[in-house]
Amino acid sequence: MIALDAWRAQARAWLASVAPRFGKEAARGLAPEAHLALGRAYQRAKFEAGFAGINWAPEWHGQGLTPLHKVVFEEEEMPFGMPMGYFGVSLGISVPVVMQMAQDRDWARERVLAALRGDEIWCQLFSEPSGGSDLAGLRTRAEPDGNQWRLNGQKLWTTWAQHSDYGVIVARHDPALPKHKGLTYFWLDMHAPGVTVRPFRLATGDAHVNEVFLDEVRIDDTQRLSPVGGGFAAAMATLMIERYSAADPAGFGPPLEAFVALARVRTIGGRPALDDGRIRSVIARTYAMRSGLDAIRTRAMRMMEAGMEPGPEGALSKLVSVRSRQRLSELAIDLSGALGLAWDQGAWVKDDWVQSWLSAPTMRIAGGADEMLLNTIAERILGLPQDHRPDKGIAFRDVPV
Amino acid sequence: MSILLGEDQVAFGAAAGRLVAARCDTAGLLGLLEPAGRDDRAFWAAAVADGWSAIVVPPAYGGLGLGLVELGQVAQAAGAAPVGMPWLAPGAIVARALLRGDDRAAAQAWLPRLAAGERAALAFAEGCEALPGTPEVRWRQGALRGDKHGVVGGLAAAVALVWAGDGTGPVLALAELDGSVARRGIDSFDNSRLPADLAFGGTAAQVLASGEAAHDLARELMAAWAVVLAFEQLGGAEALLWRARDYAVTRRAFGQPIGAFQSVKHRIAELYGLVEIARANCLHAAACDGTAEFARAAAAARLSATEAYDTAARDCVQVHGGLGTTWEGGLHLHMRRARSLAAECGNTLRWEDWLVDAIAGIAL
Repeated sequence: MIALDAWRAQARAWLASVAPRFGKEAARGLAPEAHLALGRAYQRAKFEAGFAGINWAPEWHGQGLTPLHKVVFEEEEMPFGMPMGYFGVSLGISVPVVMQMAQDRDWARERVLAALRGDEIWCQLFSEPSGGSDLAGLRTRAEPDGNQWRLNGQKLWTTWAQHSDYGVIVARHDPALPKHKGLTYFWLDMHAPGVTVRPFRLATGDAHVNEVFLDEVRIDDTQRLSPVGGGFAAAMATLMIERYSAADPAGFGPPLEAFVALARVRTIGGRPALDDGRIRSVIARTYAMRSGLDAIRTRAMRMMEAGMEPGPEGALSKLVSVRSRQRLSELAIDLSGALGLAWDQGAWVKDDWVQSWLSAPTMRIAGGADEMLLNTIAERILGLPQDHRPDKGIAFRDVPV
Repeated sequence: MSILLGEDQVAFGAAAGRLVAARCDTAGLLGLLEPAGRDDRAFWAAAVADGWSAIVVPPAYGGLGLGLVELGQVAQAAGAAPVGMPWLAPGAIVARALLRGDDRAAAQAWLPRLAAGERAALAFAEGCEALPGTPEVRWRQGALRGDKHGVVGGLAAAVALVWAGDGTGPVLALAELDGSVARRGIDSFDNSRLPADLAFGGTAAQVLASGEAAHDLARELMAAWAVVLAFEQLGGAEALLWRARDYAVTRRAFGQPIGAFQSVKHRIAELYGLVEIARANCLHAAACDGTAEFARAAAAARLSATEAYDTAARDCVQVHGGLGTTWEGGLHLHMRRARSLAAECGNTLRWEDWLVDAIAGIAL
């Protein structure tokens, strides 16, 4: 197997070679369809160059390398601003689930290939209007009907559903059971009759999330991915698939160097901002925090290299880094005074403080809200008790609304 | 670079933890708080017997020849108590100065004594300045004159490394603290640190470095000192994190453990974050000793460990409610130590400035 250093060098060289075609400058200002086409072309190029499905088995069209190789590639890929967002959920969550659990293995193998080549995109239909953090409180019904199921309900926050060919979905097959027991996991054809997808815009103006309405959607029992009633456990397992992914101490926003560069050219009352104690304090503390997260990440990589399971402290990264990014972005805009009012809507999030600030709230909620991450740390790592849960141990239909 | 601890290093830290657990208790530590001028000398003797004072001294001088990583493991165990003596960090930093300075004779004379547990102090600060640009203490014709302030261990140290001026620039000079030094003890909130003002009255001292070299060495020593103290702070913060957690799962109010309330559990989870960030920074700094990154890494360790310990001291008391505020409960031992460690080696404000200078590439 290729050594990590050599792999990193290979990845870097390839990424640099395709950056003029796919990098942030190439993607800038493209209309949505053209941007999606560029994304698909980039995914195709990755597949052909051997950088897709990095840690998947060769019989699943993967490269047969380790999760560490995947993380190394992601780390190298991050600074280029490649149009890879369309495939994050698809290849990060949904397709691995299909790979692990689909009943028809040949069909699954075809889907995996199509997804790796960027020809097909998968979404994940989890959150609903009535709850996101409280996944097991979902209300979409899956009612048995012969050897079929009928889906009715509404999903929300479904990333890239408008471009998706397929989705994985958790639905309630029996409201008489306690909430966690009454769920079952399926896959779904997003073009099936009764599926309606409506994109809506977020605060930044972009529309990558959707409402998805399910109206008498018929699916076959062969589309079931978990045992009946095993949907919640399967959903939890899928969230673990992503545990080996690149962290970013900058919270996926601009690096601290950008803030220092800004402070160099700004003044406060005629004095250089970089000499101002308040600004210096923020720089120092942000550096200390990010260097700590960086050391946690490096240590996790070393542990994986040594065949060990990384420690639970990796769970801190998103919580701490995104919160910090939000505040640093606010301050960066403030530091610019009236010059801070301008917004380049096409700018890349790691290059632009306004973009970073406007999209930070989404990051603090998506993929685990801060409050849920704190609960997870408290309960799983520190062994603190669960919150009071009045919905536990009773039939879902008896849970007070 | 960032390291994984080796088995030997883990064992080293575990042994130090056992010594601390066996030899330190709350009642004993509380007894050291009020009388000025007393420290846990018996503990230091036991620690010396276990090799604490010999860690960074090379084998040729009777030491173990280990580095900041091992020293850090021991400091972390010491911080968890928190131990009632100040000798670990200053002795190691004076040894480091001797190994990096020009004076081989001084190294020959002092390194074996330091390895054997000689009590040392670092006399750098004057007034509120941790490392004054132009020190008032003067070194002239082999002797030191002038006042140093808030020297940790100053009441009982046998030797001190002194930041002074020779009329043309700074020097780092090593002085045996004999009868020519007037020691004025400071009645402090953390008396077992034995803080004192030292008045040098013609005290014989050997210069280890002068001019630009003295400045660079002093900064390097401050960085290493900060890393050792950061490990002590980490040890304290971690101990408080688990005390808060243990209390929150046992203490009940309103019909449930208080740890089930998010205002309590999230407070403790946030503490976990601060502790883990400090730990990662401490290990990273210790591992990059000797590299160009050391100054930045040490400052990051210092800042994050100070924040972790201060926050832990505040929040652990808060989680304990009224019980956290009693004398006998002893949480104030950590509250006090969090503040004394934060003040001992350049305050947070100074370290923020040093770190920004290093990041922004401004001449130091």
